[in-house]
Amino acid sequence: MSQPLVILPIHRYSPATHRHLNPGDRLPLDPLTITPYLSAMNTSTSQPVLQVENLDIFYGSFQAVRNVSFEVRPGEIFGLLGPNGAGKTSTLSAAEGLIKPSAGTIHVAGYDIRREPLHARASMGVQLQATSFQPELTVSEIIVLYGGLYGIKLTMDKVMTILKDIKLQDQAGKRFGQLSGGQQQRISLVIATIHNPQLVLMDEPTTGLDPQSRRQLWARIEVMRDRGHGILLTTHSMEEAESICDRIAIIDHGRIITTDAPQSIIDNNRERPEVIAASRRGKITLEDVFIGLTGADVRA
Amino acid sequence: MSTTSPTLIIDQPGTQTAPRILPSSREVFMSLFKADLTTQWRNRRASVMVILLPIVIVMSWKALIEKTGGAFVLSNAITLGLNAIGIMGYSNSIARDREKEIFQRLRVAPAPNWTIMGSRIAVQLVMIIMMTAIVMIVGYQYDHIVLSATGYAAGMLTAIAGGAVYLALGQAIVGRITNPETVQATSRLIYIAFIMVGMFGELGMLGNFINKAVKYTPYGTVKAIVSGALTPASWTNDTTMALLITLGYTAVFAIMGIRWFKWSSKK
Repeated sequence: MSQPLVILPIHRYSPATHRHLNPGDRLPLDPLTITPYLSAMNTSTSQPVLQVENLDIFYGSFQAVRNVSFEVRPGEIFGLLGPNGAGKTSTLSAAEGLIKPSAGTIHVAGYDIRREPLHARASMGVQLQATSFQPELTVSEIIVLYGGLYGIKLTMDKVMTILKDIKLQDQAGKRFGQLSGGQQQRISLVIATIHNPQLVLMDEPTTGLDPQSRRQLWARIEVMRDRGHGILLTTHSMEEAESICDRIAIIDHGRIITTDAPQSIIDNNRERPEVIAASRRGKITLEDVFIGLTGADVRA
Repeated sequence: MSTTSPTLIIDQPGTQTAPRILPSSREVFMSLFKADLTTQWRNRRASVMVILLPIVIVMSWKALIEKTGGAFVLSNAITLGLNAIGIMGYSNSIARDREKEIFQRLRVAPAPNWTIMGSRIAVQLVMIIMMTAIVMIVGYQYDHIVLSATGYAAGMLTAIAGGAVYLALGQAIVGRITNPETVQATSRLIYIAFIMVGMFGELGMLGNFINKAVKYTPYGTVKAIVSGALTPASWTNDTTMALLITLGYTAVFAIMGIRWFKWSSKK
């Protein structure tokens, strides 16, 4: 046996490979080839990859998140949209296991984030808002490190293949801090998905990117969605929410106000007086609905 | 390494979840250790400074050897080096990386917390061993300080035990203080205080009271056990007491450091 193998436990049809997969099929455990098979497992099941139920988060006496519940399904981009201080990052941090909620439960791919944190973390990939890799390490060393943290041994050839896929093969020997913002985001996304997680969490992934880099990142996120990953991203960009999210939840003052597909949210709220008052050019946009529902006051 | 690692968990047929792969703690630790060692090597200028001071002490105190003995000079130099590694080097690097949210990025991976900090401490232990070995070699080559094999081995072990005190103290500093600039200022203050009070106090330059009190400080106890180990024949009950106090300091500072430590500097 030259490669570790996964033994497939269930029947699945793989749209990516156009064949039926049977229990007992032996599939290569190689990050570069396992993706279509993992996507086969995910696309056929309706079990959410992330379930957040009745989440409360306190910082001292301040309640940042109030009774938040939502779920992210496989093959879906779910957006958490809200103004500054709404509770988006707190919710995401709790899902990542970085902060302990005061109440509620979070399950990642069926694992309780508190009871089985390592299994939950192994099932998710995370792209944090701030770039946070060791500045002394090169791009290839960072990829090898994070591959190792997820149990994936990467040779330099495999690292170069990964970098070629995102057109950064020439940057392998550079320090992470020497890359442009768009390049850093591409590397961060690769590292977040290096172990083909069922769930990918992204905190304002396009902040600070130029339009071309932003569009490129959106395209990559959509490819991930099409491969069967469930994606939760936080954003306060209406354009981003409308362009790529399959469903969004609008969160304000720690509470979820509404959850639905972007167009449905617009359609369901276009008649509200506060939404009409917020509209600027007659046509109701998601931004108008957002301001109508959350208020026009500037947040600190 | 075996091609069949990582550990694979296969779900029962009929379930709808995909198999999950959990890396072994050993794999995770080795990945982190390799990266942290590379980082330390890339910061070798700072590492050289840490090793340089003890070498300067060993070479400039050559004239004292006849009066005080080789073990006295070596133990002072080694203790100063341990001081620098634990209080200055370790605490500042932890504070700096915490500010950059590097620990938070590591913590969202399936890496147990102990592997993240354990790897950092393991790298510092490598530094301690390197520094001690270099000081012993310079002492032999330049000052012609010759010790027994037992002395060198015991000296290395007590250097590691003493280094643990300063690493634990560094952990306590970075546990209590989150701002990296404040950590840097505080660690410098403590470092200088230990040198001034420890070295000069022991030489009797700060009066009898300080001379006696220094023996119970982290500087004094570490210096005592290293000095006693380098010449095992001079190990006394006082040295044993110093060893116990050293272990006590390590435990107290480590508990403080672990309890107070926050993985992020953001509130």
